[in-house]
Amino acid sequence: MGNVFTRLYVGNGAFDIVGKRTRWYIVSGIILLVCIGSMVFRQFNLGIDFEGGTKISMPSVAESSQAISTSAVEDSYAKALPGKKPNAVQAVGTGASATIQIKSPALSIQEVATLKTALANDTKPKGGQGAISDSAVSASWGGEISWKALWALFWFFVAVTLFLAFYFEWRMAVAALIAVFHDVIITAGVYSLIGFEVTPATVIGLLTILGFSLYDTVVVFDKVKENTRGLLGLTRRTYAEAANLALNQTLMRSINTSLIALLPVIGLLVVGVGILGVGTLQDLALVQLVGMFVGAMSSIFIATPALVDLKMRDPKYIAQAKRVAARRAKTASSGAVVAEDIESADDEALAADLRKEEALAAAASVPHRTAKASDSRRRPTGKRQR
Amino acid sequence: MAPPAGQIRPAKYLASFVLIVVALYALVFFTGNGSAKPKLGIDLQGGTIVTLTARQENGAQPSEEALTRARDLIEVRVNGLGVSGAEVVRDGNNLTITVPGADSEGAKGLGQTARLAFRKVLGQPIPAAAAPNTQAPSSSTPPSSNASTPPSSPNQTASQPSSSNAPQGRPAPNLAAQPSSTPPSGSTAPSSTAPSTPSAPSNVDPKVAKEIQEAKALRQATDQQILQQAALMLDCTKPDPLRGNDDLDKPLVTCGEKGAYKYILAPVNPPKEDTQTKPDDYSTYSRLTGEDINNAAANKNPNGTGYVVNLDFKSDGGTKWGKFTSANVQQAVAVVLDGEVMSAPTIQSAITGGSTEISGKFTLAEAQSLANTLKYGALPLSFDASEAQTISPTLGLQSLKAGLIAGGIGLALVFVYCMFYYRLLGILTILSLGLSGLIIYAVLVLLGRWIGFTLDLAGIAGFIVAIGITADSFIVFFERLKDEVREGRTFRSAVPRAWVRSRRTILSADAVSFIAAAVLYMIAVGQVKGFAFTLGMSTVLDLVVVFLVTHPLVAMASKSKFLSNPNLSGLGGAAREGAAHRAAVTGKTAAVKEA
Repeated sequence: MGNVFTRLYVGNGAFDIVGKRTRWYIVSGIILLVCIGSMVFRQFNLGIDFEGGTKISMPSVAESSQAISTSAVEDSYAKALPGKKPNAVQAVGTGASATIQIKSPALSIQEVATLKTALANDTKPKGGQGAISDSAVSASWGGEISWKALWALFWFFVAVTLFLAFYFEWRMAVAALIAVFHDVIITAGVYSLIGFEVTPATVIGLLTILGFSLYDTVVVFDKVKENTRGLLGLTRRTYAEAANLALNQTLMRSINTSLIALLPVIGLLVVGVGILGVGTLQDLALVQLVGMFVGAMSSIFIATPALVDLKMRDPKYIAQAKRVAARRAKTASSGAVVAEDIESADDEALAADLRKEEALAAAASVPHRTAKASDSRRRPTGKRQR
Repeated sequence: MAPPAGQIRPAKYLASFVLIVVALYALVFFTGNGSAKPKLGIDLQGGTIVTLTARQENGAQPSEEALTRARDLIEVRVNGLGVSGAEVVRDGNNLTITVPGADSEGAKGLGQTARLAFRKVLGQPIPAAAAPNTQAPSSSTPPSSNASTPPSSPNQTASQPSSSNAPQGRPAPNLAAQPSSTPPSGSTAPSSTAPSTPSAPSNVDPKVAKEIQEAKALRQATDQQILQQAALMLDCTKPDPLRGNDDLDKPLVTCGEKGAYKYILAPVNPPKEDTQTKPDDYSTYSRLTGEDINNAAANKNPNGTGYVVNLDFKSDGGTKWGKFTSANVQQAVAVVLDGEVMSAPTIQSAITGGSTEISGKFTLAEAQSLANTLKYGALPLSFDASEAQTISPTLGLQSLKAGLIAGGIGLALVFVYCMFYYRLLGILTILSLGLSGLIIYAVLVLLGRWIGFTLDLAGIAGFIVAIGITADSFIVFFERLKDEVREGRTFRSAVPRAWVRSRRTILSADAVSFIAAAVLYMIAVGQVKGFAFTLGMSTVLDLVVVFLVTHPLVAMASKSKFLSNPNLSGLGGAAREGAAHRAAVTGKTAAVKEA
């Protein structure tokens, strides 16, 4: 069957993904358990947006173009605000964008102003006091953002379930939701396991993964729907086989899409980490990187297998699978070899669509009168010309 | 040449796309100020952003009216900072103040509740037009009532609602000219320079605090002469550092009537040092603040034209108001909000019973605005600063650059991959992405102008993520094309079939993505909104590009002999597979025929 790449490229059903679905369930079950365990026991590394506090960021290059050390910053902090201590002082970023980040317990507006003046006087950063940025967040703010995000998540699920149930059917909606939950839990779990900082930007990123993961699943399901149209009346293949074929046909697309979606995110991450050090860009990119990867995986290994399992609970499909098996047994015993065909089963629907398209195109185009007139002049028809 | 039936006319689609682009850019360059720059968020251009969250003591949902009113009041204060481009946006229970530029830290103190107070007007209002330096700070003699022309502005009067003597037209402001007899300068006046400002808010910048102290020393002095001098020097066109920071137990020199007049006002409460003023002496001290007001409403003047404001005090406030008005008939009382005189009506007679009518030649809008001031006086809600951020312009610029570089890297990676994998179709992808970027930019500029949409860092991230979704529409189409070619069709005949099939997929997939963005936009707050907006917008524009550009271009390429060469189109593998498939089918039919 050629090498893996050819099989991928051609997509003729060479990978039996649905058939081996128990294997994927076990693998993702283990991963899910690890993730949930980590979330319960390790919990999350929440950013200042969730716990309240003040963050100060200043250029790490002084006016004299000498680097400012973090200890100098700490000294200046101690001098300006006796009795208080920064939680962390770290240097991040590279080149002209290199900064020193100070994380501190919540400071009043006046304390922030005092600290900024002190930092400007002591360390003389490039650009003076105006180049020092600060950000203060109340402890409830991150909570509010997250609460709203959860709310958004809920309504998102409602809206999407309705859409999918209406556009496809309820089983596909359920299978898609299973895959999405899987993605969210694993992404959150990875955050908890590795200990990445969770910020509101992370929460935003997590929400968009849902959109992306569903998007991926919808494309696969669209093909499944197409491949299984009128399936019950035929004995050529079972639902599981048709779904597996659809999966293979869209496999390269799934991989390509995920790769193309990931490439800009990787760019975002490189810039976010490499140039700015920390911040919105990095947080967003990181969560998207993890989420998109998991999303692509789940649309292949979870969504469709789950759909097949849901479908195979329907007696109609069980009966059809039995008929397929019976026919195969018969053909096998008679010794005839039938070439398996990869064509889709919705040719009729497609033909109808194409006819509609033609009619539209014909209606929209300029009437053919002139062309016909010239044709008739060129090709004698035997009729008298008017 | 007319195309055969069933084939689209690519030129027509492309032409309509060009039309859209031209129309958008015509709007960009020829409407508004013509500058082709999207509105940048604070995190990209530097400045201060403060998010205030309304808190009610009982945890109830603040009323719509109160939030709108608070927003308007805070906007007035923000504008008082004198920084251009400042904005206050309401988002659910949050008010977001954005002040661009390096000098924007003053915005952090704006969330404090403002105070409304009633202060007796001492002496004549001074027209602000009299420039401070043309009139030398004159001697101790205060301007007498008949020395200057009666200002036309304080033409309001306060009276009992039922009283028929509510003057109409323009009553002469019968302001008492008795500044010398005002109690503060009396026996108990403390030393003239008393800049004791213990009540200066602790959460302001030291620089601002110093300004406030200086202003207090001058404009809240207890010495009459200093007050007079301060009144002459006061420049009403400048932002007022005392805005909302004035001490209630000291006199106040301030501006009013939209900066047209300057007033010298008596303290609201007797100073602590003053032990001689009896608690029921209301001749100078009104002892009334916004908290004494029960309700205020704008109504049509029952006795003439225009509108009046009806004021209802709480029972305690009504008593105080009655005592104050009876002690100050024919004197003016100023309604002071955040240190600024909103209105200074003359008391026509003693008003008892707690209901008052303020009449004057108000328009409906003026009357409503005054009624609101009286009713809400202070901010109707108290706010917590949920988030206060100051971003230096350099950091903003770095973020903008980083965002653009990230987008550039992302696009470049996508280009390389598409060229490698799809060859000719890859070029079409790149072209389509480029064009989609073109309209996104125009729409960004226009939305910034029309609905004040600002592009922040999260928004840029939204666009970068959307590259993937946009590119995916093309990929779905191209993969379908490959399917069709694999089944043995030529590139040319595969295009319409692949399009019809993939169009449905693209529409449904984009619909899901759009639902995600729309839900996020409606429910989320802050940065999330910007991200959702750009994501949703690029999803919609993606459809425009796929329908009007990508598909027509592919259709055109499929008709060109040169461009549909399998080696160029990257469909070689699929074509070979298709040929094999055809051969197999033909072979089978041949075999059947032979049989």
